[in-house]
Amino acid sequence: MPVSALGPFRPPFGRSHEVSPEPLTSYHTPVYLIALKMLIGNRGKFFAMLFGVALTALIITQQSSIFIGLMSRTVGFIFDTPQPDLWVMDPKVQFVDDIKPLQDTKLFQVRGVEGVEWAVPLYKGQLRARLSNGTFQTCNVIGLDDASLVAGPPTMVQGSVADLRRADGVIVDEAAANGKLAKPGPTPDSPKIPLKVGDTLELNDNRAIVVGIARATRTFQSQPIVYTTYSRAMRFAPRERKLLSFVLAKVRPGEDVHTVAARLAQQTGLSAYTGQEFKGITIRYFMKNTGIPINFGMAVGLGFLVGVAIVGQTFFSFVVDNMRYLGILKAMGASNRLLFLMILLQTSLVGVIGCCLGMGLASLTSIISKNSELAFYMPWQVPVVTALATALITLITATFSLRKVLTLEPGIVFRG
Amino acid sequence: MSAAIVCRDVTKSYLTGKTVTPALRGVNLEVSEGELFMLVGPSGCGKTTLISVIAGILNHDGGECRIFGRDPNEMSDEERTAYRGKTVGFVFQAYNLIPTLTTAENVSIPLLLNGIERAPALERAEEMLVKVGLKEKLRTLPSELSGGQQQRVAIARALAHNPRLIVCDEPTSALDHTTGGEIMEIFRHEALSGNRTLVIVTHDSRIFHFADRIAVMDDGQIVQVANSPAELSFGSNKEPSKHA
Repeated sequence: MPVSALGPFRPPFGRSHEVSPEPLTSYHTPVYLIALKMLIGNRGKFFAMLFGVALTALIITQQSSIFIGLMSRTVGFIFDTPQPDLWVMDPKVQFVDDIKPLQDTKLFQVRGVEGVEWAVPLYKGQLRARLSNGTFQTCNVIGLDDASLVAGPPTMVQGSVADLRRADGVIVDEAAANGKLAKPGPTPDSPKIPLKVGDTLELNDNRAIVVGIARATRTFQSQPIVYTTYSRAMRFAPRERKLLSFVLAKVRPGEDVHTVAARLAQQTGLSAYTGQEFKGITIRYFMKNTGIPINFGMAVGLGFLVGVAIVGQTFFSFVVDNMRYLGILKAMGASNRLLFLMILLQTSLVGVIGCCLGMGLASLTSIISKNSELAFYMPWQVPVVTALATALITLITATFSLRKVLTLEPGIVFRG
Repeated sequence: MSAAIVCRDVTKSYLTGKTVTPALRGVNLEVSEGELFMLVGPSGCGKTTLISVIAGILNHDGGECRIFGRDPNEMSDEERTAYRGKTVGFVFQAYNLIPTLTTAENVSIPLLLNGIERAPALERAEEMLVKVGLKEKLRTLPSELSGGQQQRVAIARALAHNPRLIVCDEPTSALDHTTGGEIMEIFRHEALSGNRTLVIVTHDSRIFHFADRIAVMDDGQIVQVANSPAELSFGSNKEPSKHA
């Protein structure tokens, strides 16, 4: 028998030279490094897949965040009014802007219910403001209880809520002061001059003086928010028999909110909801009665499908390109399980990097669009949903590719 | 000398649609340990099917084929995967090196699949590459190597995990005469050491003289076994014909 010129091979690493066809069950990390090198080495396909996942994550995150932002705006006023435990209203009210005015006497009925510590009136209505250039702008006027000023703006930029007690005083929200209620510049081309404390407005032919600028959560309709006292709002509003929009009530310490709400409903014939319940009612109304969910749902669904299509197709093509090498690995002793784990690792890497890129871009949008008209709100659930959607895409992709690998004939390696 | 491969009446057919195409029609073969055995014959005669059966890549339909005492057909899928990973080394006509891995990484693959850690696997791979004359190409990508160099890497890869059997499919047919000769020298000097068995499928009559024995296949059967090229009925300098 021939003898090696370099001496005989030693059985490597103390392994017996006997046939030992026991299963190869455990693999070390380096085997998976091969998978990563195969993936990253094919730069064109790697970046195409990253682009696909990042685009998908961006679309899902952005559209979901805008949807949630819009839904949040529908309850912006409730969000800005955390003081009362209960919102008391006409039972036919469907959402926060659906005003069904109550008789003023209802306020006293509410105050008379056992368990109610205090109850104040709230006016919420739309009035026309005449601007200094003669144009009109519909405003969302909030009339606060004169004594307590409960439900006032959450953050003051100029002035204070107490300034509402000054004659004809109104507080205007910052976005409106800089935009829809701003005064025109001296020339048509010059920028608008923001409304400031001391400026006057005409509200339904009544003079109003700006005594403060507030920062409030934007509303769904994005109309200017004008805060004033309840009695002044009664003066500004057109004469009607009933003008009381809501009664805001505080429950006595130690009383159960829901018990008091039930008692209120029973004794006054009105509905009483906690702020959280009222937000839920409002959001459900918009979900059920507007095209917003279906429009955004379609955009998110389309983003998901785009992801599946781009990533799936590119990865499948990557697997087909590598079929020969996967066949070699299979011939050399790689099990189907190992090949699947390698493919899963490849898709997972693409998924994780692409998802982070997409969500990063969406977060950038969030930062850029802060304090703008764009309703963008990204709670922690959105990245979680995006990550789950991306994981699903990578799993679908890996499974499709796996079918190809499972049916891979190792004999492919002998074909030239 | 004990037998490495014993095939008795091995049959194998392929089903294409409703057509059954026999590839092996009762092959009888015995290859000893430490032997360099060549399988020659015209295209489509069943050579590649036979080495696929021997390597545990394909199941045979009938007969028995014992490799070091065990028939891959009797093994479970997991056992057969382990058999290929531990006992068999492969050398292909098209080299089949993974293009995004360096030469050392390519050579280390069978070791990694056998559970060896990366550092000792690469050390062993570099040792093998030095043995096949590629000391200067340890960190080179396959695309930067000539055909002959790539085939040397493939041989190093086939030897790295010290298998008892190496199957080669047309290892020199893509190489020029000189390079093909060099590759066969490596096979003679390196691959056969340690009582390893080599089965080489080839059309390349220029390398017949490296074989210990040559089997001529035709139409799914072994029709002649020769101890030297001179004994072959079609001669050593001609391509084996269908009617050898």
